[in-house]
Amino acid sequence: MSAFLTALFTGLRLGSIYALVALGYTMVYGIIKLINFAHGDFIMVGGYSLFFVVPIVQRMGMPGWLAVIVAVVICSVIGMATELIAYRPVRKKGTNMTALITAISVSLVLENLAQAIPAMGPNPRVVNSIFGNEGISIAGASLSYVTIITIVVSAVVMVLLFTFTQKSKTGRAMRAVSEDKQAATLMGINVNRTIITTFGIGAGLAGVAALMYLAQYPSVTNTMGSTLGLYAFIAAVLGGIGSLPGAMLGGFVIGIVYSFSSAYISSSLASAFVFLILIIVLLVKPTGILGKNVGEKV
Amino acid sequence: MKKRILALVLALCMVFALAACSNGNNNDNANKGTNNQQNTNTANVINIGAIGCLTGAASTYGVSVANGIKLAVDEINNAGGIDVAGTKYTIALTQKDDQGDPTECLNAFNELTGNGIELIIGSVISSCSSAITSPANTAGVVMITPTSTADAVTTTSDYVFRSCYADSNQGAIAAAYAAQQGYTKVGVVYCAADTYSKGLYDSFSAACAANNVEIVVAESTDTMEANDFSNQFQSVIDSGVDFVFAPYYYGTVGPYLVPSARRAGYTGIIMGADGYDGVLGCISEGTEEYFYDVIFTNHYDSADTSDVVKNFVTAYGAAYNNEVPTAFAALAYDATYMMVQAITKAGAFDAASVKAALDDQTVVYTGVTGTFSLDATGTPNKGAAIIEFTNDGTSVTTQLRDTVSIG
Amino acid sequence: MTNKKTLTGYIVNFIICVALVVFAVMARSLGMQPKVSTMIWQCCYFIILACSLNLVLGFLGQLSLGHCGFMAIGAYSAALISLAFQRAGFYTEKSGPEFMLVLVICIVAAGILSAIVGLIVGIPALRLKGDYLAIITLGFGMIIVNVINNLPFCGMDGLSLGSASSALYQNGLGFVLHQLTDYLWLPVLLVIICVALMFTFIRSKYGRTIKAIRDNEIAAGASGVNVSYYKVLTFALGAFFSGIAGAIFACCNSSLTTGSFSFTSSSILNSTFIVVMVVVGGMGSLTGSAVSAVGMFLLNYTIKNGKWVQALPNFAQQIFAYPMLVYSIALIIVIVFRPKGIFGTYEFSLVNFVTSIPRWPAILKEKFGKKKTEEVAGNE
Repeated sequence: MSAFLTALFTGLRLGSIYALVALGYTMVYGIIKLINFAHGDFIMVGGYSLFFVVPIVQRMGMPGWLAVIVAVVICSVIGMATELIAYRPVRKKGTNMTALITAISVSLVLENLAQAIPAMGPNPRVVNSIFGNEGISIAGASLSYVTIITIVVSAVVMVLLFTFTQKSKTGRAMRAVSEDKQAATLMGINVNRTIITTFGIGAGLAGVAALMYLAQYPSVTNTMGSTLGLYAFIAAVLGGIGSLPGAMLGGFVIGIVYSFSSAYISSSLASAFVFLILIIVLLVKPTGILGKNVGEKV
Repeated sequence: MKKRILALVLALCMVFALAACSNGNNNDNANKGTNNQQNTNTANVINIGAIGCLTGAASTYGVSVANGIKLAVDEINNAGGIDVAGTKYTIALTQKDDQGDPTECLNAFNELTGNGIELIIGSVISSCSSAITSPANTAGVVMITPTSTADAVTTTSDYVFRSCYADSNQGAIAAAYAAQQGYTKVGVVYCAADTYSKGLYDSFSAACAANNVEIVVAESTDTMEANDFSNQFQSVIDSGVDFVFAPYYYGTVGPYLVPSARRAGYTGIIMGADGYDGVLGCISEGTEEYFYDVIFTNHYDSADTSDVVKNFVTAYGAAYNNEVPTAFAALAYDATYMMVQAITKAGAFDAASVKAALDDQTVVYTGVTGTFSLDATGTPNKGAAIIEFTNDGTSVTTQLRDTVSIG
Repeated sequence: MTNKKTLTGYIVNFIICVALVVFAVMARSLGMQPKVSTMIWQCCYFIILACSLNLVLGFLGQLSLGHCGFMAIGAYSAALISLAFQRAGFYTEKSGPEFMLVLVICIVAAGILSAIVGLIVGIPALRLKGDYLAIITLGFGMIIVNVINNLPFCGMDGLSLGSASSALYQNGLGFVLHQLTDYLWLPVLLVIICVALMFTFIRSKYGRTIKAIRDNEIAAGASGVNVSYYKVLTFALGAFFSGIAGAIFACCNSSLTTGSFSFTSSSILNSTFIVVMVVVGGMGSLTGSAVSAVGMFLLNYTIKNGKWVQALPNFAQQIFAYPMLVYSIALIIVIVFRPKGIFGTYEFSLVNFVTSIPRWPAILKEKFGKKKTEEVAGNE
């Protein structure tokens, strides 16, 4: 029983992180149909910001998690700058594929830049404990409060984003841009501003994700974004990319599948099982669990 | 168009500015390497090449190794150089980056040998070293790898030597220690997809069978960067063992493995190998209490009071912002002095003579990582220090627990 | 008229190819350094890899992010099959007719095995499109590497002496140093054959069909094209050629590690970088893929080893100590200024090039003359 519960709690812990990261992916993808390969690296940026800011905040006698404000701001600025410098010029002239290549290059620049700056460097940097180690124990398996907080945070973020895109004016503009850029322009929507806002919000989410990730796994490296981003992207695809509740669901499914396959089948093949689940789901329902089925037009 | 160029120029400025104000260690090394290369024209110079991963995921090790080599070379050159058959020669060091990738390592090797270099220290990680062993043998280039512990890297009668012990030895030491401490049932948590971890697991399990220690539970992870060990340690607890061998690198052990294990409720011994060196810098504030009964086999103890170690630690700290040298730096330092001792003994610095000198199994090398001689394959026979982490609730320190050597 | 042109084309291409192979055969006697020949070997597998991905990405229009997985299969199968022959005592020296036979068997087998895996992967995966396909192929690429890691006969001494998850230290092919120069004709010949095959494939009715699928899948389907058949065929063909690239990789590396083919590999041999090569070269241009594969390889090489780097000011040298950083910035610049790739869909034609040489002065004059008039116009 305790093994089962441990596997479940581990799955929830991983899943809550993936869900939070996947929300950022889905957000950007839903609007401009671009796999933002650099999203994982925005989390790395957030992680390093927290690494520097958390000790300062704690020394000032405030709770460490307040540092997330700084992280969100830095991530948003980096996200918007990326859009301005790299994505926008390419989007005007290139195809989807060139945009993807730009995203890959931006991700490489960020990773290697972090390595080149000595204050960051290739060494793992360890962040101070943010929420403490306490937790509740159920039948010999422990569930830390951080996991619960992460689940709550991702749920709240999802609901906020959902309301924002459905109800607010900017949100409606975003959906319009996602449907048809030209038509949106004709309706008087400033497409470029809408897209840059999307990047700002998406990258800001990476700052929040960085906080929750570091609260559970307190170490930052310059390549932390690549694997985390990959799994989160899989989660977004599994849930149906572009769908906010889907990202959340996908994150938890991936986390739990990973944890149970490593506990009960073979931990060395756990990532293969994650892909297996993804492949099966996509073959049965090619747009993901909660994805919209859009008919093709000639 | 103008806007685009402006944006690009701005981006470039940002990048250059960031990188330019980064005058840290890493850059210094890369630079000193290239600066040294420019001296090669002067007379009485011995060219030595070094290959290692100065950038890329494993660059922490590469940078430590490069620092160790650089320190040794500087010491030798400042003392007037090497005495080869009555003439003083200084060392010109050329350092190459292999990015931790075997193909790039081969290119770096070709680049060095293409420039006429016959003596190479490197590479750092085993997969890179394995890519250049047979070219080294064919080309007749002496290669001393400071840190590649995979057994297959050196064979008998070849041009490849090393200053560290092999994986088989390290796993055997851990198993012998478990037996010596009276554990008859042990567990293992390892990464099945990694050469280092799997190699240590193989040698540990072989040595356990020889020492009548039973491996009750063997759990694995799919990457070395795994960040959650709850499931693994849950089954360790369920099997009731008090001794777990977990060969991982410090970046995983400090923030993830030990806290995960203790949170899951495991209270027994966690034993690791030389990858644990550096854990001290990777402990999250607030998790210090978890670091008890965590031990590992290491090449040397940086707190050792012998003169060799003390001098080395002081010199290294003076050269590199008061850093405490890792075992990687110490091994690289020793590898350089091995090379120098072989050159002095041979009285020549062509590859064949240096190889012949290194092949002599009676020569005793005294280095930071112990006093040793090489066996037939070119691997040192030396014991290991067993280091232990202890904590007082708010800070963690290391101390020497035991020293073990096996046949 | 057309016939005559085609004939000239065959002759010119044939002469150039023979000249290349003859040059490669004579490389040793021309005193080529192992350093240079290793670079040519590496360029060769990058060219085949980029071109084979271009079949899938540029001509079929499907994004595959797991191309290095197929290369891994090719490399490992070539290394292990040759090792089996060597252990069986079929050949001892890396020369002679027996070895040539083994070489051919290994290269063909590497291609076929990769193609079979390509079929197995392609049949389910190609039901999906676009980004979904990308992530699935990425997953397959990772699974292939994961599986190789867990196969005992793919590690250590290989075959029955193997151990899982270790580097493969034994390789029946692995040429070193001067052998690489001696066998330089092999990759050159393979590149010529593979690129020629791919080129004819694209010019054939199959090629026209897959371009139709790329441009409009529904319309192609409506015109009676068996869309899934052609998709899987092209995918398997791409896998076949990358398997051959893998065999070349096995030839020029004396030991293999799965790390070289993994998604997180830190060098330019990486599934995403092959995609980058294709896009930078121009999707739909084999010439572009070949040129950008060589160009990007040389760029990466020269950033690290070039003598000119030492002539740069100090702060620039510090940046150049991080090859990947410079490389990725260069990439962004290329993409921003030339988003359609260097060559677009243009194919370089040797015949047109050769036959146009006599007309060069006229062309140059025309261009310069034009510029001058423009300048004059601008000044006014």
